[in-house]
This record gives sequence, C-alpha cells and structure tokens, in this order.
Amino acid sequence: MLYNVYFGIYVDVAMPVEDKSKSLLPFLSSPKLLPNESEADFQSGLQSLLSELDNPSSLAVALVSQLNECLWWIKRHTVDKELLLHEAMARLLSKGGSYSATYDNRKVSKALEHYLNGRADKDEAEWIDEILAESKLTLSDLRVRAFKDAARHIKMVDDLIHRQHQTIRHLQRSIDSIDYKSRLIKRMDLELAALESKQPAKGALTFDAEPS
Amino acid sequence: MTPNHPRSLTNRHNSLKSTGPRSVAGKQTSSQNSRKHGLNCAPDFESSLEYRALVDLVAGEGFSAFACADIAAGLLNYRRVMDAYYDTYTSPEPVDEFLRDANVKASNPIFRELLSPSGSEPQDVREMAAFFASMQRQERRKGGPVSRRSADSHKLIRYQRNGIARLSRAVRRG
Repeated sequence: MLYNVYFGIYVDVAMPVEDKSKSLLPFLSSPKLLPNESEADFQSGLQSLLSELDNPSSLAVALVSQLNECLWWIKRHTVDKELLLHEAMARLLSKGGSYSATYDNRKVSKALEHYLNGRADKDEAEWIDEILAESKLTLSDLRVRAFKDAARHIKMVDDLIHRQHQTIRHLQRSIDSIDYKSRLIKRMDLELAALESKQPAKGALTFDAEPS
Repeated sequence: MTPNHPRSLTNRHNSLKSTGPRSVAGKQTSSQNSRKHGLNCAPDFESSLEYRALVDLVAGEGFSAFACADIAAGLLNYRRVMDAYYDTYTSPEPVDEFLRDANVKASNPIFRELLSPSGSEPQDVREMAAFFASMQRQERRKGGPVSRRSADSHKLIRYQRNGIARLSRAVRRG
C-alpha cells in the first residue's frame, strides 16, 4: 500500500526501514549540518537507531529521525563546551604578559588551539610556553581560571544539553506509545480473527443439529 | 515583607511607570520584537502541503482524524522550532573585533583630534573615552563567537520545551 506524501514522496508500509527514513527526507529528516560535519556519520547514527526498532511505522521513523537530531545537537554542544574553554584561555593569555595591548589576539588563539590539540610546531609551542611563563601560569592554572571566566556560558551550554536530553525522553515515550498502540491493534486483530474462525464452526454445528 | 513596607510600596509605584510602550509608535516597535526568530507568530499549518501530507501519513497508522491533525501540527511546529534553533546557532551576532581589541587609552589623542582639532576640553575627551570603554566592556562581556551562539540558542529553550511537549502529548493521546 502506498501513501501519497506530497513533493513526490511515497511511503510504502512494507518497505524496508532504511527506505522509509529516506522517503521522509525532504521535510522531516533532512539533516541541517554544519560545513565541517559528515552526513555519512549522521545517517549511520540514524540507521543504527532504526535498526533497534522492530518494523517501525512511518511516524515512528519520523520521530526516530528527530531523536537522532537531538543526539547530534548534544555532540555539537559538547564540542562547544571545550571551545568555550579554549576561547577563555586564549583571552586570558592575551591579557597576560606583554600582550596586554590587545584583548583577544588571534595569533595567541590559533597557537593555543594547536598547542592543546598537540599539533603545534616548535615555534608555536615555545611561544605559548613563554606567554605562560610571563603570566606566571601553568596550563592547568590557566584552564581553571578560564573555567571560572567562562562559567556563565558553560552553564548555558549545559542547559542546552539538558534540554536535548529532555526532548529525547519525550520522543522515546512517544515512540513507545506508537509501538504499544500497534501491538494492541495487532492483538485485537488476532482476537477478532480467532472469534471469526470460531463463528462458522458454531453455525455449522447449529445447522447440523437442526432436526430435519 | 508586609504589603505596607515602604520598599514594596516603592516597587508598586515604580511598576506603574514601566508597563510597556504607551504611544502607537512605541507599540508598533515592540510588536516587532519577536521578528528575530518568528516563533511567537501563530503558524498556519493547515494550509501547507506538508501538513496534508503528514495527516495522510499518520491516518494510515490507525489514528483518529482529530489525532492525525494534532500530530501533524505538533510535528510541523517542532520542526519549525528546530529550524529556527539551527538558524540562530549558525548565525550569531558578529563580533566587533575593532571595538573589542581597541586600546582605549592609546586612542585618547585620536578622540582629542576628533572632538576639536584646535584643542578640545579635556573633560570632553574623558567622556568620549569613558563612553568608548563602556561600549567595549559590553562587547567583551558577550564573549567570542561560541559564547554568542550559545547565549542566542539558550533563548530558544522554552520554545523547544513547548514544541516537544505538544508533539509528545498529541502522539500519546492519539
């Protein structure tokens, strides 16, 4: 059976789960990704979630794709937390030592990013060590101070992550409810079929029992 | 605190002074406050193609007509919120690097020249420097691009909460 979904999309009840998710793509599960994000990762996450469902309905697939998007947002916000710390660390370093003339030196920020990722060349590493020494700070001191500085924004990102968790909980409940409903309908269908199968047998008996 | 406390009375008195815009122009201005993300406007889902498509889709799963309409509207509303969330996240207020990184103390001669090339009053220069410093503090308080996008996205939390609650309620009642 085909449901005509507009924009030329057709959703077949009997089609495989992967195809169901693709057929909903244009307005429900089209991922809005950032330039550095991989669509393949997003889709593989979605497929792994769908594989956990036993023959999901199209609505369940739509809800699962929303759930996958929530997980994706949690990933983004977790990266943001670390970026916020880096931002604050670069700011503190720029303010310290002989670099106080500028507030947020891009060069410091870039070198620190490389330094923290372990991708800094010799000059960059020496330079960051030099600024740390001038500011009389170790890297862990700097991190602690940066955490204090960025606490307000980190709290905001924590709130955003918490919101996504709450949303996931809502979606899970909705998916469970759809699953329960479909099981209930199936069970009622079976009971009805069983009753119907008994009915002709009874009729046959009464017909046979009728005196001639 | 009792209602007769002077502080409470002062608060009440002050609140009478600040109950929003009074003039027609002021009301028109404040009515556009929500234009940033558009989530406060009442949406018209019923006339959209997506809505009809979703209603058809959900109807095939054994939901009543009323539940189908509710679920379709809930899902579209949730998508609307999440799209606005993405847009807000990806386009934060830009950082004014000039204002943020400028050295205010070193700019005093420039202020002096700007105000009066023939020799300005020191008080004027000090006021201009103080104004510039205050703007710089505001700019710095907003932080970098990551801080800004977090702060902007944070404002949409309540819309997300309402959107998902509406969708979830519609599905579970159906």
